[in-house]
Amino acid sequence: MLENVPAAELSCVGRGVERIDTVEKLSGAAYYTGDLRFPGMLFAKVKRSPHAKARIARIDTHKARALPGVHAVLTGADLDVRVGLYLVDKYVLARDVVRHFGEAVAAVAAETPEIARKAVDLIEVDYEPMTPVLDPAKAIENGAPLVHPDLGSYDYVKEVFSPVGGTNIANLSKYRKGDVDKAFAEADLVVEREYTNPSVQHVPMETHVTVGQWQPGDKIQLWTSAQSPFTVRNLFCHAFKLSHNQVRVFIPYVGGGFGGKAGIHLEPLACSLSRAAGGRPVKIQATREEEFSLLPCRSGLVNRIKTALTKDGRILAQQMTMLWDAGAYADYAVNVTRASGYSAAGPYEIPAARIDAYTVYTNKPFGTAYRGFGHVEFSWGTERHMTVLARAIGMDPLEFRKRNALRPGSITLTGEVIREHTGNVTRCMETVAKAIGYGEELTPEWQQRELETGRRIGKSVVALHKAPAMPPFTGTAVVLRMNEDGTVIANLSLTEIGAGTYTSLAQIIAEALKFPIERIKVPVENDTDRDPYDWQTVASKGLMLCGNAAILAARDLLGKAYDMAAQVLRANHCDLDHDADRIFVRHNPECQVPFRALAVGYAYPNGNGIGGPLVGVGRYIAQGLTNLDKETGQGLPALYWTYGAHGLVVEVDPVTGEYDVLKVASAFDVGKAINPSAVRGQIIGGMIQGLGTAMCEGYIYDANGKLLNPNFTDNKIPTSLDMPAEIEAFVVETPQVDGPFGARGVGEHSMIAICGALGNAIQDACGADLTKMPIRAEDVWRALETAGPLLESSATIRNRAACNTRER
Amino acid sequence: MLRPFFYVAPRTKAELLGILRDEGPGSRLLAGGTDVLAELRVAGKAPKQVVDIKKVEAFQGIRFDPGEGLSIGPRVTCADVLASPLVHREYPLLATAAAKLGSPQLRNRATPIGNICTASPCADMAAAFLALGAWTEIESARGVRRVEVKDFFVGVKQTVVEPDEVVTRVVVPAEMAGAAGDMEKLKRIRGHDLALASVALVKHGGKLHVAIGSCAPTPVVLPVLPVDAPVDEVKAEALKVIRPIDDVRASAEYRTFMVQVFIERLMARVEPQ
Amino acid sequence: MRIRVRVNGRDYQQEAPDHWTLLRFLREGLGLTGTKEGCGAGECGACTIIMDGLTVNSCLVLAPEADGTVIETIEGEAVAGELSPLQRAFHKHHAVQCGFCTPAMILSIKAFLRTNPRPTVREIQEAIEGNFCRCTGYQQIIEAVQEVTGQREGQEELGHA
Ligand code: FES
Ligand code: FES
Repeated sequence: MLENVPAAELSCVGRGVERIDTVEKLSGAAYYTGDLRFPGMLFAKVKRSPHAKARIARIDTHKARALPGVHAVLTGADLDVRVGLYLVDKYVLARDVVRHFGEAVAAVAAETPEIARKAVDLIEVDYEPMTPVLDPAKAIENGAPLVHPDLGSYDYVKEVFSPVGGTNIANLSKYRKGDVDKAFAEADLVVEREYTNPSVQHVPMETHVTVGQWQPGDKIQLWTSAQSPFTVRNLFCHAFKLSHNQVRVFIPYVGGGFGGKAGIHLEPLACSLSRAAGGRPVKIQATREEEFSLLPCRSGLVNRIKTALTKDGRILAQQMTMLWDAGAYADYAVNVTRASGYSAAGPYEIPAARIDAYTVYTNKPFGTAYRGFGHVEFSWGTERHMTVLARAIGMDPLEFRKRNALRPGSITLTGEVIREHTGNVTRCMETVAKAIGYGEELTPEWQQRELETGRRIGKSVVALHKAPAMPPFTGTAVVLRMNEDGTVIANLSLTEIGAGTYTSLAQIIAEALKFPIERIKVPVENDTDRDPYDWQTVASKGLMLCGNAAILAARDLLGKAYDMAAQVLRANHCDLDHDADRIFVRHNPECQVPFRALAVGYAYPNGNGIGGPLVGVGRYIAQGLTNLDKETGQGLPALYWTYGAHGLVVEVDPVTGEYDVLKVASAFDVGKAINPSAVRGQIIGGMIQGLGTAMCEGYIYDANGKLLNPNFTDNKIPTSLDMPAEIEAFVVETPQVDGPFGARGVGEHSMIAICGALGNAIQDACGADLTKMPIRAEDVWRALETAGPLLESSATIRNRAACNTRER
Repeated sequence: MLRPFFYVAPRTKAELLGILRDEGPGSRLLAGGTDVLAELRVAGKAPKQVVDIKKVEAFQGIRFDPGEGLSIGPRVTCADVLASPLVHREYPLLATAAAKLGSPQLRNRATPIGNICTASPCADMAAAFLALGAWTEIESARGVRRVEVKDFFVGVKQTVVEPDEVVTRVVVPAEMAGAAGDMEKLKRIRGHDLALASVALVKHGGKLHVAIGSCAPTPVVLPVLPVDAPVDEVKAEALKVIRPIDDVRASAEYRTFMVQVFIERLMARVEPQ
Repeated sequence: MRIRVRVNGRDYQQEAPDHWTLLRFLREGLGLTGTKEGCGAGECGACTIIMDGLTVNSCLVLAPEADGTVIETIEGEAVAGELSPLQRAFHKHHAVQCGFCTPAMILSIKAFLRTNPRPTVREIQEAIEGNFCRCTGYQQIIEAVQEVTGQREGQEELGHA
């Protein structure tokens, strides 16, 4: 939509205008959920399981209930309520069994946090520990202990998912393209390897927090740090069998989400406690430790890739088995499995493919959506694999990628045809390659540096793609209301979790109305009773869907204003035009009426009125997408593809494995950068978050499934000192035909494939062949000593040995 | 949220020693708080009282006595150490170690004495004190005693300090003034982190002093060696005193390896004055 | 215990339980909720304030310890509704995304620039290493600081290929 407007004609779109939500965030005035206090508000604390799997033999809450100041104590026995996004598998509080370390078994609401804590301490729970299943490969073996023995009877979204009752498989998504067996038989070379990722925590700086109030008469109000107010409302009503009219969800400022707040989490518990406490509001805020195991994480992945290729560097076929370690509940993991399955080839054309993507239940904290939605995880394997393949045939890894890259006419795994306007991944790769001097001699400074430090410098280029993972019929609406003074308020239910989308939407609205941006207000807080529906704030789809709805709402509002103006000015609708302040007759511009005079209806001098308050409504729904065939995965899942590439330069100590990232250059085909400064912020912020996954993050368990590092002491995230010494961010702009002003989303993409970039650059520097996330110095050190596991191709092993001693 | 306790802040040493004599076992001493409060937050129960020693005037200050050496009081923070020209001039290793501890906010509160009293195997200041042959002065209503830092630690997070006692000073001997030294610390990220392994090394007066952190239940120190001891001998001595474990931060094997690498680096880098 | 503090130039006297942290006292006692809690354990720096001229993690200071001190929080940064130069630079350079780390980040930089008005990039990075930001990747924060110190003019451009 409006994708061909020349830049010179744009006054607001395409400019790095300042964000509309920063002043209050900078001055401490922005209220986040945790800042709210209400009269009579109680504080909740949760009793959590120390076991990964156990039968709850007895819970005694008598002492807790007797403690003065305690208003409500709940256990699983009090709440026969299951919640689930795609597969309804989770009780609000564990009933009979606990399925992961840290799971909530009881909760207390009391007048102070101290009393609540003490009451929780007084709750006695007798557990009968059972043997947990922790390894996803073991969990899908026949006879493995079942995490959910009743899986076969659970409710789920039947059009999309395929749980297998009587097993630990919460979903199996299959993708089939071409004749895989034939391709493997004809290949010059077959390489099969396995790559793994642990679970990773999102680490929003604001932990999950909710204030819930369940008033008498079943009127419910929720203030919550969540990404998707309507999904919270919908799932809440579904679980408690309430009308949508009974539940109101407010979203104050949100201190980061990254997918961890996409679904429904603490809300049912806070409200249940409030109901038990006679309707007093109840606040529950996760501690940082609880954030790691009471709340969800990102699923782990074991990714086995087998590829057939020719000596001259063409991929013929690929077989992938992805075991997604979902933990104890399915949440978003089943859809992560589905979405990463159809993207799993990366931005490359694979003529024949067979992909089986399993969502596997284990007795660990459960996985949910996380920025990149599976792509960060699988791209670690696929991008490492691409380089391994290239090295196996002695081809430059960038050349190999370009040879196999998607281009107009390519067919994706699900049968979609790539077009000219889909985007240009090759351009992204070339841009970052140039920026890091890929394939060139090291600069004299870097050569000098190698000599002085004894460290080795390595480079890599990786590519990526991702489409929004969402139902094919995902829709949204934007309502524009003109105020008496001609300013405009935009109501919508995408949330502003930090990505800056609201500013971009304000720019789109300003551009579509031809108003200055100062006249557009997009209220940062959301309210399901005030704002129109949006599905969720996920998937990098918000800018496109809401942007289009905003343009349509602007047109609707202008149309109504023109209708009134035509009457007032006694002119034809088609002869009217407008500027920022007024509507006028084109051939007689003095004949005009200001927007202010139309805003709430036009009044003639004698008091007669016409029209009415100006409201514009825009609705937009994804067009032409389909569910995927359950046996073959064929169909159209992608609203659009955003392509990208990273170039990375690393310096490695070839003795100790210590390394530093010297430079990262990233490029994304965003269609149109609505706000270049915000795009740059997404590119750099996501890249560093991705480096966190690559360098240091990840859950570590003991043999019994106890999480050993649920804190910042032992789950490090990147600090300012962990930034690459040099960072460059680029965009390619191949307009998206159905995107607002040609734009497509880029909120998640910068995190994707950076892990592979680091692993490949380290291999380039010192030969270390890495297959596991994260890459700590110790892992490089070990990889220096022992060759990585090459499973099938002896040619690869020979070649790799040759590659190890790099010539310069 | 912390569980409830009482807060007391004696103004004088005598008052403090009296409190500890009467209620030592139920009391938790508080200096910078960076370890104590983080620990109380996750502890199953609170102490009866937290005794803040920062109001005791006598506990202030970094002083140098030509006979005795450098004396650091319990109120002195790592930031104070870093800001002291005296320390930089005479005992630069202390500044190096203080700079490696935590973040700016933590250094503004954390105290070197608190750091050794927490007695974590990874205590950054402990390695430096050990390499410099420092000793502590420990007081109670019963009297004063002097304990070498090398004898101070008795286990993971355990020291010789009794419930009625308080460390009133740590002293770095005058003989070590001007000692050349440096420290290497292995971390998981470039930003603030605990040591996965650390080595502090001093060359002074013809002698070589080496201390190692995060590689045994306590920080450890090698026997004093001649300053020109061959690197391999130093590494061999190190291997005799360390007992590293595998944990979520690193493996014993990597710790052992890195300790040797650090010894090599420091042996090459540190020039005796 | 009764706590007397001077916060952002205003004197307060208020009772607080002995075991309250300074963070909790500021937020719940004085209603100054601009200071945030990200971990409660001294790791993330979201609770950073300036106490007697030095930055501290207010989650690791007991409220009674702050008795008699002079404190600066984010609420004192904008004067008479006008953003400070540092705040303006953050605004201009998109150094704020979700904003949860921002108040503490501002306080860390404010204290740092008093001692080092023309820092190198490395020194800026060292000054904020105790302040986690999960959103921005720090780059635009550093650019904002450089604007305030006069070491940079205008916004860093996004490259167009
Ligand atoms: S909340 Fe104080 S350092 Fe994280
Ligand atoms: S802006 Fe979100 S944590 Fe820094």
